[in-house]
Amino acid sequence: MVAVTDRETTEQDAAAEVVHLTAGERLIRLVIAAAILTLTLVGTVVSDDEAFPFGPPRMYATRADPDAPVSSTRVVGLTDDGVEVRLSGGEVGLRRAEFEGQVPRLVENPELLGLLAVTYAANHPAAPPLEAVAIIVRRYELDDGVRTGSYVYDVLVTYPIPDPEGSP
Amino acid sequence: MSWVNRFAGWFFVPVPLARVAVFRLIAYLFIPVDVFVTTRWVAAHAGVPTEYYQPLLIGDWLSLPTPTTAVVDTVKWLLIGSALLAATGKAPRIWGTTTFLLYFEWMVIAMSYGKVDHDRYAFLVALAVLPTIGVARWRDKRRSEAAGFAVAVIFIAVMLTYFLAAWAKIRFGGWDWVNGSTLTRAVLRRGTDLSTWTLDVPGLLHVSQYLMLGFELLSPLMLLVRRDRARIALVIFLLGFHLMVFAGVRIIFLPHVVALLSLVPWERFQLHRQPPEVIPRSDDLAPAAS
Repeated sequence: MVAVTDRETTEQDAAAEVVHLTAGERLIRLVIAAAILTLTLVGTVVSDDEAFPFGPPRMYATRADPDAPVSSTRVVGLTDDGVEVRLSGGEVGLRRAEFEGQVPRLVENPELLGLLAVTYAANHPAAPPLEAVAIIVRRYELDDGVRTGSYVYDVLVTYPIPDPEGSP
Repeated sequence: MSWVNRFAGWFFVPVPLARVAVFRLIAYLFIPVDVFVTTRWVAAHAGVPTEYYQPLLIGDWLSLPTPTTAVVDTVKWLLIGSALLAATGKAPRIWGTTTFLLYFEWMVIAMSYGKVDHDRYAFLVALAVLPTIGVARWRDKRRSEAAGFAVAVIFIAVMLTYFLAAWAKIRFGGWDWVNGSTLTRAVLRRGTDLSTWTLDVPGLLHVSQYLMLGFELLSPLMLLVRRDRARIALVIFLLGFHLMVFAGVRIIFLPHVVALLSLVPWERFQLHRQPPEVIPRSDDLAPAAS
């Protein structure tokens, strides 16, 4: 068993030899640390995620209205038989949150969704080909912060995959 | 003048080299775990169409390459090799620096697809300062001001992750963030069997939001924790918080948790070679039991 005695972290083994830094070595460390600290504080105060690694740590920082519905976004592929295949769970190398961050761009440029069908086919050669790719939002209803149990589906955009050239 | 010296002195309180030698091994060996097990989605970006790449400011300024399959795979294997070399403790300044630069690029690849995570600021700071310590061996009894500086800035980075999170909540959510339904939203979207019951207890998640913001705003006080056992207690408290969050919404700030481990006085746990003649006092075991 190891005994951890209660000594000041700073005052232990006073007899042990100390490796010192010169005044110059101290100064350069403090100057660089001050610069990084300044970038971090400025990034948090005025910038946003694009300033990584100096942006604000804004995990769950947005206030959610207790009466507004909670949205959950999915990107799905649709096969010929109408089967839904989830694409936003890593199937094409992107996470749900990454799709959510790009939703406005994808709604404006739905042809970007078509690229996912190609990636999906490359990653899952045995799977049936996708006929369309869609972004679906599920909105859970809240009443004063408590879930009511009901939700609605909302299809934001559907992009039909164009037939490859030469096929009937 | 004296307060300047005291302020500067806080950064250079000597820390045993054996302590940072242990932490360094943990930090560098965590990188293969991060790449292959706990954050595998970064490597998955190798297969994503480059049209989905949304460069960060730093990617633009430094003209970092677009992450094609070849770029992602090359960075991955160079990073793994560099981290394993750094973990040996040999040539720590060289392999520590290459590991930091490659991990930084790995993070640029991670965060450039529409979602930025905030779980590794302190880990990046740790990788940046570890090479400044120089040679440190497990059994080195000496204390080092360079090691003290490294531990001090990692500690500040850990603290800032909490404190600036409070700042962000007030900036983006407003002072009324505490009265929103942010945690309800999180549990609805990511809840587990261990947490969904909280949705049916009115007020519980609401009060939790007050507690979270309060803790984050007070986090700078943790820098005053200097005694070994108090630091161990602080680490156990923070690990408990992160484990609770993980149980509830499957989010763990794993790289941040690794950076936390720099606060543990590892050299105190090394087995004493002489047979212990003194039975440890019962209060010596208190932190492990609590």
